[in-house]
Amino acid sequence: MDRTPPQSPIIDFSKVSKIYPPDVIALRDISFTVQPGGTLFITGMSGAGKSSLLKLISAIERPSQGVVTVAGHDLDKISPAQLQALRRQMGVSFQDFKLLPKQSVADNIAMPMEVTYTPKKTIRDRVNYLLDTLHLSHKREVRLDKLSRGEQQRVAIARAAANYPPLLLADEPTGNLDQTTTKLVMDLFEQLRRAGTTLIIATHDHSLYANTSHHVIELAQGRIKSSRPANEPTPAAPKPGAMKKP
Amino acid sequence: MKTRSILSQTARNLSQTLGSQIMTMATVSLSVLIFSFFFLVFLNLQRTGIQLGEYIKIIVYLDEEPTATEKPLIEKQIRDFGPVDSVVFKSRAEALAQLDRHLGPDRDLLADLSPDFLPPSIEVHPARSLTALTRLKEFSDFLATLPKATKVQYGREWIERLASLTQLVRLIVYLSGGLLVLTSTFMVSSTIRLTVVTRQAELEVLRLLGADSAYIKTPLFLEGLIQGACGSGAGLLCLYGLFTWVQGHFSGHSALNMLTFAFLPGEAVILILVVSIALCTLGSLISIRKFLRI
Repeated sequence: MDRTPPQSPIIDFSKVSKIYPPDVIALRDISFTVQPGGTLFITGMSGAGKSSLLKLISAIERPSQGVVTVAGHDLDKISPAQLQALRRQMGVSFQDFKLLPKQSVADNIAMPMEVTYTPKKTIRDRVNYLLDTLHLSHKREVRLDKLSRGEQQRVAIARAAANYPPLLLADEPTGNLDQTTTKLVMDLFEQLRRAGTTLIIATHDHSLYANTSHHVIELAQGRIKSSRPANEPTPAAPKPGAMKKP
Repeated sequence: MKTRSILSQTARNLSQTLGSQIMTMATVSLSVLIFSFFFLVFLNLQRTGIQLGEYIKIIVYLDEEPTATEKPLIEKQIRDFGPVDSVVFKSRAEALAQLDRHLGPDRDLLADLSPDFLPPSIEVHPARSLTALTRLKEFSDFLATLPKATKVQYGREWIERLASLTQLVRLIVYLSGGLLVLTSTFMVSSTIRLTVVTRQAELEVLRLLGADSAYIKTPLFLEGLIQGACGSGAGLLCLYGLFTWVQGHFSGHSALNMLTFAFLPGEAVILILVVSIALCTLGSLISIRKFLRI
C-alpha cells in the first residue's frame, strides 16, 4: 500500500451496511473516511458493530450494501493477489487474538515478517524491540498457551505492529490490560502514528481517546450515533471507581 | 530470503506432523522396495535367459553315422531352416572320447563297454534369434524329421520353466508398480491432507496476514517431494543392502556361479527415484488443490 496523497482517503466507507443471515443487521448505512496517517477511534457498546466494521476493512467480511475502499481498492472487486498484498500492509489485532497457541511468543510476533520474507536478523531485532516495549522479553520463548489473556493481548498487538504497517486495526486492544500495560500499548500506537501509520482502534474504553484530538465515531445498533472529527478534544471521562461528589 | 523462509516453513511443517511423515515415508519406501525387488528379479531372469541362450545346443541323435557326402546336405538342410552358429557332426568314437574326458579319473567305468555303444549325433548351436522358446520348438520338430534322426534333445523343460517364471515375475512387477502408484499418491495425499487439517488455524492466520500462495503452498508441495525422495531413496538403499547380502551369502554356490547377478542399472535407479518423487508430488498437489482454501 503506497502512502496515498492526503486528499485521497486511505479508508472510504460509502453507505455501507452489513447484514448477517438471516437478518441480523450489524451495520447500517455507514459512511466515513480516514486520511492516511490519521487515527480513528470507533466506540460504542458491545454489539454496536465495531468488530464488524474492522472485519469489513480487513476484508474478512464483505459488505451487504455499499462500497468499502481501502488504499484505493474497492474490496468487493479486489483480486486475491491484491488482497494478499493489501493484507501484508495491514496490522490487525483481533479481539480473539488469532494467535497460534502451540508456537512461542517470538514466533507469533514474527509471523507477519515471515510472510513478507523479511531477513532473519531484522525479524529478530524487531521482535526483541516489541517484546521489550511491551514488557514481554522474559516470555520470548514461552508457548503462547502458557500466557495470561493480558499477555496474549500484548502479543497480538506486537504482531500487528511488527511489520511497521501503514494501516493498523486494533479491536479492543486494551480489553484485558491493566492501566500500566494499557499505557505501554498506547505509547506503541503513538510511536507508530508518528511514523505515519493510520490507526483504527475499536474500543469502549473512553479513557483511550479522551483528551485527544483524534477522529472518534460512536456506533449504536449498527448506526453512527455521533462523529467527532479530528482536532476537537473531548472532555476527559470520569476515572473508573472515582467517587462522585455528593 | 524467500527460499530460506519457505524452507524453514517446510521444516516446521515436517516437524509438526513428524509421526505421519515417518509413516508415509516408510510406506513409500516399502512400496519402492517391493517394486524394485521384483523388477531386479525380472531383469536378472531376463539376463539369465540370455546367458543360458548362449549355451543352448540341440542334439540330434542318429541311428547311424551319415556318410561324408550326406553331411553337407544335412548341414545345408539345417542352415536353410534358420540361422545357426555351428553344426557339428559327432561320430560314435568322438562321443565316446568326449565321455571319456568328462569322466576323468572314473574313466575305467567305460572299460567293459562296447566302443560303439554311444549313438552318433549332430550338435546344432542355434543363433541368438532362434533361442526363443517357440522358435526352438519349431526347430527341434524340424530336426526330428532329418534322415536317420532318432531323438532330439535341447533341455526343453528348464527353458519352459524359466520362461514361465519370467512371465510370472513380469506380472508381479506390473502389480507392484500399481501398488507403488497407489501408495505413493494416496498416502502422500492423505498426509498432506492431515497437515492441512492440523494446521488449519495456522493457515487461516497466514491468510489473514496476507501470506502469498507460494508461502503457503510451496512448503506443502515440497513436503510431498521430500517424502518421495526420502521414501524411494530408503527403499532403493534397502534393496541394495539386500542384494549385497544375497550376493555375499550365495555367490559361492556352484549352480549360481554359472550366472552373474547384477543390481539395477543406474538409469533404472534414477527412473524409479524420479517416478516415485513425481508420484508423491502429484499426491501433495491433489491435496493442495482439494483441501487448501486460500
